[in-house]
Amino acid sequence: MSSWRPSESAVTHLYQQSRADRWSVPVAVFVAALERSARKACATPPEPRELERVLRSLHLEDLALACACASGHEGAWEHFVREHRPVLYRAADAIDPTGGARELADSLYGELFGVVERNGERRSLFEYFHGRSSLSTWLRAVLAQRHVDRVRSTRRLEPLPDEERTPPARSQEPAQSRIAAYIRLMRRVVTAAVARLPAKDRLRLGYYYAEELTLAQIGRALGEHEATVSRNLAKARREIRADVEGQLREQEHMTPGQIDECFEAVVADVGSLDVSDLLGTASDPPDSGNSPGARRKDSQDKRSKERPEGASA
Amino acid sequence: MPERDRDQSVEQLLRRVMSDDITPLEEACVDGETIAAWSEGSLRAAEASAVERHVAGCSRCRALMASFVRTTPPQPVAESLWRRWHLAWAVPLATAATAAAIWVILPDTGTAPLTNAEPIGTIARDERALTSPPPPAAQSSPVAAAPSESAAAIQSQQRAKVAESSSNELRQRADTSGNRSLADQVQAPAIARSPAEASPAAPAPPEASFALPAPAAAGAAAERAEADTKKEVATNSAPAPLAAARQAFAPIQIVAPGGTTRWRIVSGQRVERSTNAGADWTLVNVASTGALTAAAAPSATVCWIVGAGGAVYVTTDGARFTRVPFQEIVNLTSVSATDGITATVTSVDGRSWRTTDQGKTWLGVN
Repeated sequence: MSSWRPSESAVTHLYQQSRADRWSVPVAVFVAALERSARKACATPPEPRELERVLRSLHLEDLALACACASGHEGAWEHFVREHRPVLYRAADAIDPTGGARELADSLYGELFGVVERNGERRSLFEYFHGRSSLSTWLRAVLAQRHVDRVRSTRRLEPLPDEERTPPARSQEPAQSRIAAYIRLMRRVVTAAVARLPAKDRLRLGYYYAEELTLAQIGRALGEHEATVSRNLAKARREIRADVEGQLREQEHMTPGQIDECFEAVVADVGSLDVSDLLGTASDPPDSGNSPGARRKDSQDKRSKERPEGASA
Repeated sequence: MPERDRDQSVEQLLRRVMSDDITPLEEACVDGETIAAWSEGSLRAAEASAVERHVAGCSRCRALMASFVRTTPPQPVAESLWRRWHLAWAVPLATAATAAAIWVILPDTGTAPLTNAEPIGTIARDERALTSPPPPAAQSSPVAAAPSESAAAIQSQQRAKVAESSSNELRQRADTSGNRSLADQVQAPAIARSPAEASPAAPAPPEASFALPAPAAAGAAAERAEADTKKEVATNSAPAPLAAARQAFAPIQIVAPGGTTRWRIVSGQRVERSTNAGADWTLVNVASTGALTAAAAPSATVCWIVGAGGAVYVTTDGARFTRVPFQEIVNLTSVSATDGITATVTSVDGRSWRTTDQGKTWLGVN
């Protein structure tokens, strides 16, 4: 008989283990929370034995605290504030040292305390805590989620360079258009090479190059030692380079000289592109005199991977 | 083209390619709860690898993970939550502990101004200690300043905190009536006497830890650690005997500048005052209906007390408390004050208000 609902004897034991009695959490409320957790953890109703294993592995004390706080138990709320508010604030400061995330932490706080819905019922964010992690880890993750979503929503309001792009300039110098074509090609083949890597390698590269996490931070995220992260990054880079060289040789039928030119084009160009990344605007490449040109080049560059055309043009 | 330059090209390309905004359309993004579970390794293998695949291919979720990782305190992941939590506190606390330790061994002339300055600065400092990420460098300077004292202080603090947490739990277990159970309120002398025997559930701290060098400093530091944790305004007492190490388990006690006048809140209800440095206590009547949570004593005769439901009381003669009007019905958890008319209170949801006219007007601080 598979179900998400634990048996009565299991409930008694779990209730005791969670020490939900110290917050006087009604058993029915606790059972409902267990059931929510089980549904989150198991896609299909598990066997009773498996269900019990899953439920026993939960952070039961935290789950009981969340239940009690959601139902407005004052002692539980105080306990939560004392133990977890510092965690939340410290996390906010780590995310944004200028204090921008504090306000998110405060609004999170309000949601945890409960929002009164239209039917007069109080809904608390705590109901989304399922005990699969500790309460403080969950708080940090929810805060990070809010932060990222806010950052992304504000960024969406700013016009992207792609939206204001103009048709490719025909007036460019032949040499320069060749460099641009090489860069487009290089981006395409590197993207393809990255896509062939295992998820963990892509994640490591993304953390390092896009998110700019430190090796130690990446190690924490992936459960690896710093030195292992570094070694694995170097290995992935070697694989990508070999893959890129292979693609240029075999798919693009390039000569060693042309392949050299491809790599050189990137080195010559990337300096300016990196600056434009940092400033959030396009800046002048060293060999072109005007900003719109650079912007066009950048946006062409961005879209190059969608284009079938190669660099042999 | 030299080999090194090719590697450089690959790196530069990766920097741009990896930053491309990608969102897999066919998949739902990962929520915070799942990220938290994933980071603790509590997902099943199949689900964990699905999450990993998604995060690797979704800019938004990868950024979410990156933000999350930045909030992770740099401690070994293998440690249990409680331990990790305590260790994360250790560094800022160590700073406070050393401050206390140094203060204790200063000659008498040095102590007076420090004591006077305490009530004003305490809350601000507490906030900093609570919220700032533990600066790795902070540890070295206090240790260098007073090696033996601070080492002992840190150790005893950690032990005191472990014991404190479990005695909290004991007390909370006893508190089945659903009443407020603030750590410092329900106080059995047995717990104060020996954390180890009173709370068998605790990873029993060996008594030897309290016999380390400079026990007085360690005791004062433990007291300070407690005060910091509770965010209560508490000035430190005069150089304390070994027994002071256990005072960490005493009721909320507020020491007015000078050290002879002290206030304490017992069981969250009763307010008592001592005019002889804690030797004798007399009951002071506060017409409170709810629980009292924190107090601040900026001078020997002035004391502010806050509590549940927006309760604020003040005395300016050290004997009679009057209710100070407060605009909101919100549980207040801390108070700092500079005199009988100027105080700042903080609520359970982190908001602060300041009055400069004994509560006739309150202005939001943040």
